[in-house]
Amino acid sequence: MTQIELRGVQKFFGAVQVIKDLNLRIEDNEFIVLLGQSGCGKTTTLRAIAGLETIDEGDILIDGQAVQHLKCSDRDIAMVFQSFSLYPHMTVYENIAFPLRATRMNRADTDSAVREVAKVLRITELLDRRPSALSGGDMQRVAIGRALVRRPKAMLMDEPIGALDAKLREEMRAEIKRLHIKQGSTTIYVTHDQIEAMSLADRIVIMHEGVLQQVGSPEEVYAHPANLFVAQFVGSPVMNIASATVAEEKGKAAVTVEGAPQGFAFPQQLLGSLNGSAGRKLSLGVRPEGLVVAHEAADGFLPAEAHIIEPLGSYDIVDLKFGEQMLRARTRSGFVAKPGDRVFARIDPAQAHFFDTESGQSLGVRL
Amino acid sequence: MAAVQTSGEKALNRVAIVAVLVITLIFLAPIYWIVSTSFKPRNLSTTIPPTIVFTPEVSPFVKLFTKRSQLREPPTAEEYAAAPWWERMVFDGGEKVVRDGKGNVQWSAYPNRFMNSLIVAITSTVLAVSMGTITAYGFSRFRVKGEADMLFFILSTRMLPPVVVAIPMFLMYRAVGLNDTHWGLIILYTAFNLSFSVWLMKGFIDEIPKEYEEAALVDGYTRMEAFFKIVIPEAATGIAATAVFCFITAWNEYAFALIMTNRRAQTAPPFIPSQVGSGLPDWTVIAAGTFLFLLPVAIFTFLLRNHLLRGMSFGAIRK
Repeated sequence: MTQIELRGVQKFFGAVQVIKDLNLRIEDNEFIVLLGQSGCGKTTTLRAIAGLETIDEGDILIDGQAVQHLKCSDRDIAMVFQSFSLYPHMTVYENIAFPLRATRMNRADTDSAVREVAKVLRITELLDRRPSALSGGDMQRVAIGRALVRRPKAMLMDEPIGALDAKLREEMRAEIKRLHIKQGSTTIYVTHDQIEAMSLADRIVIMHEGVLQQVGSPEEVYAHPANLFVAQFVGSPVMNIASATVAEEKGKAAVTVEGAPQGFAFPQQLLGSLNGSAGRKLSLGVRPEGLVVAHEAADGFLPAEAHIIEPLGSYDIVDLKFGEQMLRARTRSGFVAKPGDRVFARIDPAQAHFFDTESGQSLGVRL
Repeated sequence: MAAVQTSGEKALNRVAIVAVLVITLIFLAPIYWIVSTSFKPRNLSTTIPPTIVFTPEVSPFVKLFTKRSQLREPPTAEEYAAAPWWERMVFDGGEKVVRDGKGNVQWSAYPNRFMNSLIVAITSTVLAVSMGTITAYGFSRFRVKGEADMLFFILSTRMLPPVVVAIPMFLMYRAVGLNDTHWGLIILYTAFNLSFSVWLMKGFIDEIPKEYEEAALVDGYTRMEAFFKIVIPEAATGIAATAVFCFITAWNEYAFALIMTNRRAQTAPPFIPSQVGSGLPDWTVIAAGTFLFLLPVAIFTFLLRNHLLRGMSFGAIRK
């Protein structure tokens, strides 16, 4: 049973504040992914939990006990580094046994623990090799083995598969997930890759410039981003964001994006949800799959001209021009034949997001 | 090398091989000279032209290790027959081995001076390398205020030719009773080598990713344990290279050893030439002493050759 809690954590590097008042509670057996661009403070947060960085303010609690003053060796936490950090002068066996030797475990118990972990990770035949003789994926397995063998209170992973090639990354992602389900330890995983985050996490923590932006399940952060940063950071291709105004038109709500001649039709419920924000400028966010594209004109559909078409195999991403405004839509493969074609599109109200342009915060509209 | 060579390249290659052979011969000639002289009978050591072909003998080594005196008259047949084989060689040279009242052979000062050299060079190397490694680790891993200035200061101790401070050092040593002591030379050589050791080791330790130690810290070790279990084995090549350099410097040092020591702690370098001064020099004995003096460095370097080679190209092949 391991819970980790961060309370009001602040961290400065000189004059630069890299973690700003971070509050987070991680439940037992939870797989948490810290997601953000490089320099957002996610790795520093992880290192602070591990004890490799001191914090300037706040508390880090493991199972309710403040640990920020404890040395790393006293926190009973394991960490997997992006660079693998396997000790080159030791064999795979010695690498995995290394954390157990620190606990003065006897030889027989160490041996059985190492072999058990090696079996789980399918690296038994590599035990006598040196790290330099391993492939990237095997190195990563050994690094994970070294972290698991001690049965630590929590596992920290700092971009553990970032250095691998795309195919291997996919394999290792599945392996990490399998291991987590099997071993079920509290895990904090740092990555800048949103696909990794979405596929692995129970909850994703999105950080930007040292500030926590949103915490939620992958579905939640994807479907209901808390602000413009999250909206644009999560999801590929990126969500369309456009300046828009909302007005009442013939008993319905009409959302007009800047540069477009007409407004998109929305249920009148939107006006109520906006709660007084109607009429002033907002930011409309809609993912490419939130634009419904048709060949024929229909009620609520606006005419648009296709520009660039990106065929991605199972689907296409098509740039549609509404007047001066460009919005990207996701269509069936080959649905729009060629650039310049005239099509009709509407926004699926359930997939539209409204943000305050100034603060960037979501207005919480759910239709 | 290219798979296909033009005739021009082939000729160039041959010239290069010849040049390397010539350079090798030039470098090996003095070593051959010393080694061959140390196995020559005394009368062949200074012939002109030099004697190249001769029957090697070990009499120079016997003479090197024993105290001898000139024979006033040749030994009697009984004396000669009773003497062991090595003593006869001394008789053949017109000398006799000095024995004490109980008949025990008196050793020359050479073994003692050689031991002094070993004690001083090994101890100062161990001290310089270990202190240098710890200092370099500190500079490499922690944020030290004024790091660049301190490192420059450490380096600056090498900028003065050491012999410039020989006289003041001698006076200081005499005042504190360190002259002609092992510790006196050990402290001196450690001080000479330390700056070099810090700089060299810092380069090596900088190359070791600090994630290794961080991994060890997270794995439950203290920083000291991580240093000994991870950094030291990883820096082994660097330590070996630094140790060889420090050992050679301490082993070959002449000027300070000459000034600071005269008997008890005298090392081999000032002792060997001191034999030239008394009477007609026996070059074979001096050559034998020099030859033996060359061996430890050669053996030490040979044993560490793999580390040394890797150490030289450390930055280039890591990662």
